[in-house]
Amino acid sequence: MTNHWVDLKNSDVVLAIGGNNAENHPISMKWVTEARKNGAKYIVVDPRFTRSAAVSDLYGPLRSGTDIAFLGGLYNYIFENKLYHEEYVKNYTNASWLVNPDYGFDDGLFSGYDEAGRKYDKATWQYDTEGETPWDTEGAFAWVNKPGTPAFTTPIGKTPKKDETLSDPNCVFQLMKKHYERYTPEIASAVSGMPIDRMMEIWETYASTGQPGKAGTIMYAMGMTQHTYGSQNVRAMAVLQLLLGNMGMPGGGVNALRGESNVQGSTDMAMLFHIIPAYMATPNATKHKVLRDYLEKETPSGGYWTNKPKFFISLLKEMYGDYATAANNYAFDMMPKLNGKNHSHIAMFEAMNEGTVKGLFLWGQNPAVGGPNCSMERNAMEKLDWMVAVDLWETETASFWKAPTIDPSTIDTEVFLLPAACHYEKQGSISNSGRWIQWRWKAVDPPGDAMDDGEICTEIVHALKDLYKAEGGALPEAITELTWDYMDENDHLDITKLARAINGYTVADGKVVANFTKLAADGSTACGNWLFSGYWTNEDSMDPADQPTGARDNTDPTRKGLDGGMGSHLGWSFCWPVNRRIIYNRASCDPAGNPWNPDKPLFKWTGSEWLSNDVPDFGNKAADGTETKPPNSTAFIMLPEGNARLFAQGMADGPFPEHYEPYESPATNALSSTQNDPAVVVWESASLGTKDKFPIVMSTYRLTEHWQTGGMTRNLPWLVETMPKMFIELSQELADDKGIESGDSVVIENNRGAITALAMVTNRFKPFTINGETVHQVGTPWHWSYSSGCSIGGSANDLTPNVGDANTMIPEYKAFLVDIRKEEV
Amino acid sequence: MAEMAIFYDSSKCTACKGCQVACKQWNQLPSPLTADKFEYTKSYQSPLETNPDTWVIMTFDEVDQDIGVEWNFMRRACFHCTDAACLQACPVGAISKRDNGAVVIDSEKCIGCQYCTNACPFDIPKWKEADNKTRKCWLCQDRLANGRQPACVTTCPTGALTFGERTEMVATAKTALDEAKAKGFNDAEVYGVDELDGMHVLFLAHRGLEAHGLIRDPKVPDMIELWQLLKPLGGAAFAAVIGGLGISYLTGIGYKREETDESEEVQK
Repeated sequence: MTNHWVDLKNSDVVLAIGGNNAENHPISMKWVTEARKNGAKYIVVDPRFTRSAAVSDLYGPLRSGTDIAFLGGLYNYIFENKLYHEEYVKNYTNASWLVNPDYGFDDGLFSGYDEAGRKYDKATWQYDTEGETPWDTEGAFAWVNKPGTPAFTTPIGKTPKKDETLSDPNCVFQLMKKHYERYTPEIASAVSGMPIDRMMEIWETYASTGQPGKAGTIMYAMGMTQHTYGSQNVRAMAVLQLLLGNMGMPGGGVNALRGESNVQGSTDMAMLFHIIPAYMATPNATKHKVLRDYLEKETPSGGYWTNKPKFFISLLKEMYGDYATAANNYAFDMMPKLNGKNHSHIAMFEAMNEGTVKGLFLWGQNPAVGGPNCSMERNAMEKLDWMVAVDLWETETASFWKAPTIDPSTIDTEVFLLPAACHYEKQGSISNSGRWIQWRWKAVDPPGDAMDDGEICTEIVHALKDLYKAEGGALPEAITELTWDYMDENDHLDITKLARAINGYTVADGKVVANFTKLAADGSTACGNWLFSGYWTNEDSMDPADQPTGARDNTDPTRKGLDGGMGSHLGWSFCWPVNRRIIYNRASCDPAGNPWNPDKPLFKWTGSEWLSNDVPDFGNKAADGTETKPPNSTAFIMLPEGNARLFAQGMADGPFPEHYEPYESPATNALSSTQNDPAVVVWESASLGTKDKFPIVMSTYRLTEHWQTGGMTRNLPWLVETMPKMFIELSQELADDKGIESGDSVVIENNRGAITALAMVTNRFKPFTINGETVHQVGTPWHWSYSSGCSIGGSANDLTPNVGDANTMIPEYKAFLVDIRKEEV
Repeated sequence: MAEMAIFYDSSKCTACKGCQVACKQWNQLPSPLTADKFEYTKSYQSPLETNPDTWVIMTFDEVDQDIGVEWNFMRRACFHCTDAACLQACPVGAISKRDNGAVVIDSEKCIGCQYCTNACPFDIPKWKEADNKTRKCWLCQDRLANGRQPACVTTCPTGALTFGERTEMVATAKTALDEAKAKGFNDAEVYGVDELDGMHVLFLAHRGLEAHGLIRDPKVPDMIELWQLLKPLGGAAFAAVIGGLGISYLTGIGYKREETDESEEVQK
């Protein structure tokens, strides 16, 4: 979330799209209800009529995978009716920046496409520039000269050409306007299947937040991300929020509703293949042969990320302690690196299938049920030499060899199941969707042999260290020199010591740093995660209750003359970064520093100083440290532009979100002849099907009553009782076509598999009219599988395709093709 | 002690069933542990009916619309009526009315005769064959005695359930009614203020009583009053005879009796 849960109450229009917030994030409705009490409208856009839709003011059905057609149409509507927030767009976005005149777009392809490599050369996507600004290494960037700082060639900023009138045909504003001219209401409706009148009503309602002072928020989840263009879906929402001036506003923002209690924390800590803690790129053996390469290629010319060398060197200092010195480039060579191959979930199982990956650690993960094309993933597991599953119960993955289609006698994989402590049986921090890093205390000891994951990990690290010490091997220092001194007097993991190291400290005296502004690139500081820095700052205590992360003041007082009650709650836990509750919050004020909405002020420039109701996300401090630096329009400090990007060069598949069809779709792309996202790589094992054999769109989802693969919830009888069986929801029309009645067992099939589910015939699903043809959509939860717990049933993911997003490789779980029939008994 | 009441506002309810599960957890009501013992209900409503071990359920009713449906939710559990038919029907005095308005079955005294299950116009109390006892919501008397709210109310994430002195809850319900009407829910109605001399669970049914499955103008069956006269004469032995003859057919206005026959079979 750019904003946070409580802040939803400040919204004028709440849009849930690609997320089912009432069902999967029930607490969100506490704040949506609060907003509605004050007159806010709540819009739900979803292929099916959900419990969110049931309580909404406006519901719009949309065929799975057509969000960009819907949002692109909305941009066009906003441009045509001049409903954008003009002053915001001019001052805080790159609308006025000129783009390389060779940039172009033709029939679904942006300029620079390399068909053979299925990727873009982005040279023509760059800004048109007219000068250069090198770093001032005597002034602001003098830190690069400090002894101990690794040498690297500092980046050179390019001075952009701009047209403040927004009329130059090569300025971002004009390019964008032109790009979306094709997205007429008729096309958007024909592609998405949303009735045009309802669509226009939703557009009108949401676009009303473009008025200065109004705020619209977007809540989304996996319905947006789990597509081959999922990253572009997310960008499409960000772009909408910029057009309407909703980023940085209380009651605004782009808000990812996290589907697991600490998935925000696990992302921050980089439980992903392509990033290391706090969103820095994982070093790559080809691109970053030495530390200098990393610093030169990963440090941008402007914006707050120019401090990246400080964060990166501090991370290396924590990882390798005294061993990391200026002389050995802070042990950069010891750090694990990517080998240029794709190491995403999908690719990892391909590698297992090929026999390249021979061992697998699973930590609270159940890919035998949760993975895309999961029967293929179960088959891949057969080829492993060993597997370690750490979990609360014996999941289907830990017992993959018991799957109905598998013959255990042919499998040599050795499986270790380690019982793990559950969340009430250990302490640590949990980061919620709103980035609040909240300490959670242990309530009870784990039962039997179950252990805290941290402790399991510690035992493994210690055993590895002993082995490398005894036997050597390739680069033993990578393990033997790794810092792991977070132990208590009984040699058990002390998570508070780890928390302290994550916050960061000065190496010389070991004292905690106040926040990441104190980190240095010269080896004098160590820090496990710069974004967390500030959450553990009490030098005199090791009690989490005495630390910002353990703070529990739930008041929301008036601060410096600005009214409280905005939901900032700055005294409750710690929010990254630096306890800032709403990021990009400079944009909540006009260029002169007056809040767009005077009734909900986060900040105000009085003419001589800043009043604050949140931690500022902009330079408000003058050289003397007082909050008296006059306003400017650098509202997006993380970007070199200082402005937000309507046009973004960083994306793999185009600077503007463009509509493509899902890889399995019942429709021909009506917006171009480029059917699918052209930058996606597809493996053969995806066994894609076509609409002649599989004409029905299917999507998977979760229920309030269950969680993820059901590993936890199918083991809790109370929850099983509330939603006892795997089912398929389908429309009355489709049921009539197929001779199916509620309660019948239905076979759902495609090239990847066949499962059964019990029919739930309902008007909550209705056929779509797509390009003039009737298209049916069905849906099932993905909580069930063949073993574990009080309820078993078909695995929806036996049907989902293992084809991934062009930017992130997230699988296209949310839109694929099937056929269905009544099961003959 | 003042009379207390729960207020349920259907316009704020997302039917997450948090209340349904919290009730089972607090009152330690079992669910089958054996795999796949549960019936498929063809609906999000599960189980279809309250049972001796499930005292609160969320109900789901669908009305078709051009785009989507109206999906109407309701909390189904004991209403804690002032004029409580169950209490009047009980031949052994196992059901009592507490000062705070709660209608409570004393399991020690219950003889499992099922007069109350037949008398209740809402079909709420449910008999369990295993121990020959009838059970239902008891408005978390143990929690109230310790200054807490009922478990269902505490867990509600949206504020659809609130709890307090009945007079305050009546006022809250009326405010909620005005708000719902202002939002265009012209059929919105409040329920429980006067019904059966006043219930201790009040409702805003924002699409009207019928849409949410509430019984308009519920009555204590006439025969119950006659039974009041007879009861002192015969006691428990007499009750067994009359019960079979009379009370079970007295109550033709019960909650969806035909629809839920199946589920009653199941839970036995």
